[in-house]
Amino acid sequence: MLKPFSELRERLLRAGVAPRHVRRYLGELADHFDDLRTEEERAGLSRTDAESAALNRLGGIDALARAMISQRQFQSLSARAAWAAFAITPVILLTMAYLVAGFILVTGWALFLPGSETPFVPVRGFAAIYFGVGRWIYFYAPVLIGWAIGLLAARQRSRAIWPAVGLLLIACIGGTTAVHTARTTSTSVGIGHFSGTSGSVHMDLANGAQLHNSLAGLPHVLLILALTAMPYLIWQLLWRFRHARSVSA
Amino acid sequence: MNGVPELLILRLLQHEEMYGYEIVQAIRNQTGEVVAVGEGVVYPVLHGLERDGALISRRKTVNSRSRIYYAVTPAGSRRLADLSNAWTNLTAAIQKMLMGGRHAEAL
Repeated sequence: MLKPFSELRERLLRAGVAPRHVRRYLGELADHFDDLRTEEERAGLSRTDAESAALNRLGGIDALARAMISQRQFQSLSARAAWAAFAITPVILLTMAYLVAGFILVTGWALFLPGSETPFVPVRGFAAIYFGVGRWIYFYAPVLIGWAIGLLAARQRSRAIWPAVGLLLIACIGGTTAVHTARTTSTSVGIGHFSGTSGSVHMDLANGAQLHNSLAGLPHVLLILALTAMPYLIWQLLWRFRHARSVSA
Repeated sequence: MNGVPELLILRLLQHEEMYGYEIVQAIRNQTGEVVAVGEGVVYPVLHGLERDGALISRRKTVNSRSRIYYAVTPAGSRRLADLSNAWTNLTAAIQKMLMGGRHAEAL
């Protein structure tokens, strides 16, 4: 990619223009640039002069950026409502993932272990796969959602504050959520509470007092935070390094 | 010049589809280069019109080069009619005022 286009891309992304609009804009500008360069070369200019003339005709970086940034309709959700994209949506997604995991646990208990006091016993065959999916969702959803936050923030060149809030929320929820099962005939249903024919599954966050006393959830919170924040931090460092190098060049 | 790029683009695409470079060259040629802007600035206008439903685009390969061609939709035709009326009224009003100014000077 030509250096001016590279600069334009960074400027548009930092201004909040959605990556898909940036990609399309730059693609069409590159095609247009090729046409202009060909036209100038046919008019007798050398390749270098033709490129320079083509860039002039295309418009300066300021004008090209302004034309796109001024249209609010091209702004991404993460730029218009960063709090929603990086904090609220991930929490909703994690809640949904936990609901799915809880549903799998309670239905698996009813289907495969109807006489068992607890669903946490060794199982084989399809039951192992069924419970395995639920376990996988329960343990990996915070990490996957955290990576998604980092990816979104990196793609959009977002400021670090809201992605950091989102990662912290996900780590806290992921690290302190606990699953309790009880053999009961209760029929109550609520968020984080499922009842089946064999028993009930209840999910809740460890409260402050529990955490303070045992600090049991803290290593888990820190582990999730490290796993999710690390790729984003590495990307930030690499990007800053590349950006500094391109500016100095 | 608010609304002028939209008006010119919709008018050009009314009867045939074109891609960005063609549109800019047609504007330059048909306005005697009176209307000349940074050529790349046409794309946000095209994308905005497409998002509003006034244009549709499709990728087409011509001479082994892939291009995005734009064409006017029925909604775009209605928008062109509205913009044309507004522009005609505006220019008529300005022309009238300019002529009135000249008469006043002559008197």
